[in-house]
Amino acid sequence: MKKLGRSTGFAVSALVAAMSFATVAQAGITDKDILADQMTTDDVVSYGLGPRGQRYSPLEMLNTDTVKELRPVWSFSFGGEKQRGQESQPMVKDGVMYVTGSYSRVYAINVKTGDELWEYNARLPDGIMPCCDVINRGVALYGDLVVFGTLDAKLVALNKDTGKVVWKKTVADYKEGYSLTSAPLIVKGKIITGVSGGEFGVVGKVEAYDAVTGDIVWTRPTVEGHMGYVWKDGKKVENGISGGKPGQTWPGDLWKTGGAATWLGGTYDPETDLMFFGTGNPAPWNSHLRPGDNLFSSSRLAIDPDNGKIVWHFQTTPHDGWDFDGVNELISFDYTDGGKTVKAAATADRNGFFYVLNRENGDFIRGFPFVDKITWAEGLDDKGRPIFKEGGRPGNPADAKDGKKGESVMSAPSFLGGKNWMPMAYSQDTELFYVPSNEWAMDIWNEPVSYKKGAAYLGAGFTIRPMNDEYIGVLRAIDPKNGKEVWRYENYAPLWGGVLATKGNLVFTGNPEGYLMAFDAKSGEMLYKFNTGSGIVGSPITWDMDGEQYVSVVSGWGGAVPLWGGEVAKRVKHLNQGGSVWTFKLPKGN
Amino acid sequence: MMRIYQWLTGCAALLCMNVALAAQPPDPLNSVLWDYTRNIFLGDVDYRFNPDVRVDVPAFAEDPTQVPITVDARALSGNIERIVVWADLNPIQHIFNYFPSELASPKVSLRIKVQQSTAIRAAVLTKTGEWHIGYAQLDAAGGGCTTPSMGNADPYWQSHLGEVKARRFAADDSEGARYKFRVIHPMDTGLVDAIPEFYLQQVELKGPEGTTVVRMELSPPVSENPVITFDLDDTRSGYTLWMRDNGGNEFEQTL
Repeated sequence: MKKLGRSTGFAVSALVAAMSFATVAQAGITDKDILADQMTTDDVVSYGLGPRGQRYSPLEMLNTDTVKELRPVWSFSFGGEKQRGQESQPMVKDGVMYVTGSYSRVYAINVKTGDELWEYNARLPDGIMPCCDVINRGVALYGDLVVFGTLDAKLVALNKDTGKVVWKKTVADYKEGYSLTSAPLIVKGKIITGVSGGEFGVVGKVEAYDAVTGDIVWTRPTVEGHMGYVWKDGKKVENGISGGKPGQTWPGDLWKTGGAATWLGGTYDPETDLMFFGTGNPAPWNSHLRPGDNLFSSSRLAIDPDNGKIVWHFQTTPHDGWDFDGVNELISFDYTDGGKTVKAAATADRNGFFYVLNRENGDFIRGFPFVDKITWAEGLDDKGRPIFKEGGRPGNPADAKDGKKGESVMSAPSFLGGKNWMPMAYSQDTELFYVPSNEWAMDIWNEPVSYKKGAAYLGAGFTIRPMNDEYIGVLRAIDPKNGKEVWRYENYAPLWGGVLATKGNLVFTGNPEGYLMAFDAKSGEMLYKFNTGSGIVGSPITWDMDGEQYVSVVSGWGGAVPLWGGEVAKRVKHLNQGGSVWTFKLPKGN
Repeated sequence: MMRIYQWLTGCAALLCMNVALAAQPPDPLNSVLWDYTRNIFLGDVDYRFNPDVRVDVPAFAEDPTQVPITVDARALSGNIERIVVWADLNPIQHIFNYFPSELASPKVSLRIKVQQSTAIRAAVLTKTGEWHIGYAQLDAAGGGCTTPSMGNADPYWQSHLGEVKARRFAADDSEGARYKFRVIHPMDTGLVDAIPEFYLQQVELKGPEGTTVVRMELSPPVSENPVITFDLDDTRSGYTLWMRDNGGNEFEQTL
């Protein structure tokens, strides 16, 4: 409650009491609102515009004819000197926008005027250890609460009207390298969160908390061998070891610090009642230290929201040796094949392959490369498992003369992936996925390493470089039924922002150069662009209010790309930082 | 419910205004902000300056980030609804509210931050609805509220947040007991660039049965690592201190 500060003391206390009477009748956000989010165009109450994460809106006031009339209505600064990567997706409900900024900040904004209603600044300890910039991807809304995860690995629930803390829960110990960066997921009255920290040898997990009280409900580790738990009447009860027992796909004790961080959160499909979480790289990066598939790293897990059991898993990169940290979102969608509806789900992996899975059982339907070059695998077998290419893996340091540096290999995609965190969109009209991807390669070599609590646990060195002079980023329209690339847009700097598709036959995304761009969903023609003043690495949303269609996106260059040098640095080093939300609308009469 | 009550009494007071002109004595300290701050914390109501409400401050605040003050309203003991304490010329004027129950002896000492020389006020609202104002003029060097907390340079607080050291003494002039405690907390005001406000908001001293004997609401001008002394008309042991900060951290300690 920054605006209505303490300095106004009692007068304001009385005013707040009066205001809270007036708002008692107004119902908070329910599970039903969240499940219906995709079709209720006057709000955005879930990350991904619906729990499936399709990022598709049925609004069509803005379309290929009218988008040229789109214009900014306000811009809101996050303020301070904390201008770092802004990867958030805003939420909008009842005329209020809830959006997060870098360094664990949350803002409530009047969407009509751009005025701040309140802001919350987490007081972070100096010892936080985010690997890849001090970002946050957004809040979850439930009842009267605005819930988000902090860089010191806590879930904080704020009152949606005042911004005051209602409860706070420690999800993990930040001193071990844990942090929270993804937007929490709300499923059946529970807040579901993953954890970040795969570069520090943490053990990934998915946890459910009661969305009203914040009490823990269950926890599910994502590394084989670790025990899961449920809480019954406040008592912690064993709920089965992930994968059954330790030591099946990991040697020795390496599973104890196995990584597989669930740092990008998950999606939920109400039809199958399953949540889908991606898991990150196994730790350490040096794969010669951990022969085996290293379950459940670099996988997609289908998890029962009621008890946290793993229903099925699909591993995209077994024995990952390239940081193909397969957390990428798995988006549920249906398509018809020979008159039959297929309940599918798709994901575009860091490793360069696009996968279509049966979302009921995790069976592989098809997969294909979505990037131009893949050096580490020949292709996928009929179960979707990669066929490793000879010499594609960095050499074992133990084979080197001095035992210190293994043979270096050139690998594409790079460790930042064919597609990184930035979410793709699925259009129900064109039945295409719009995939923000990058064409880059790396030189990577392995080194010996041992685990030390709170220290980087890699055992690898690497540099990153572009593969083309003209572009790194490629926005691709991909047909999940046949793997065909229908169109592409090439961008000089790497693409690092989310995508939005609309019934108006439009695809929106932003680029590090600062532009919010709109494309014809069928042809890929760019129909609109507007420079927001700093790079866009967040995810755009759209909604309607008073008969007009709005678009919002956060602007503020940062994230993992500028933290890694190599030859990519020269494409981005001139880009200036920022920290703001831009809101656009199509005025009436267009 | 407290807030609703305040709101209702506030409205009632406004209605009374039409009937009788409020008694509004001039400020003995002649502070330029008296009318302004009085309106914020009291509203436009009758009040009197009462020397029985004692505000003790040092002759000069050597360290503007740690200024010891004592508010002693024992002369009105048993008839106190709440005490509101503020500094006229602080950027954040409000310092604390104090709500005594029957077992409390309404005397409290703590350390505060001041931004410049200022009047310190303690306004006592009696159960009969009268405001009694105590005051003192504090001379100070400036800057107490916009200096980064020590905790900003030293990460000690990060691993010791909310740790309490407490001692019990005999009260100076009565049958009761005195509790003095110190809690590790940076008490950041939010006025230092790039350091968000982060401070203890609620303090409750609970008796052996768990009932609240003293309740306080703190604002950021309470000094870093607050040192607070309470007096009680109760010699029983088994007291507990409970605190919560604006970040949602809760701390509890048996004294």
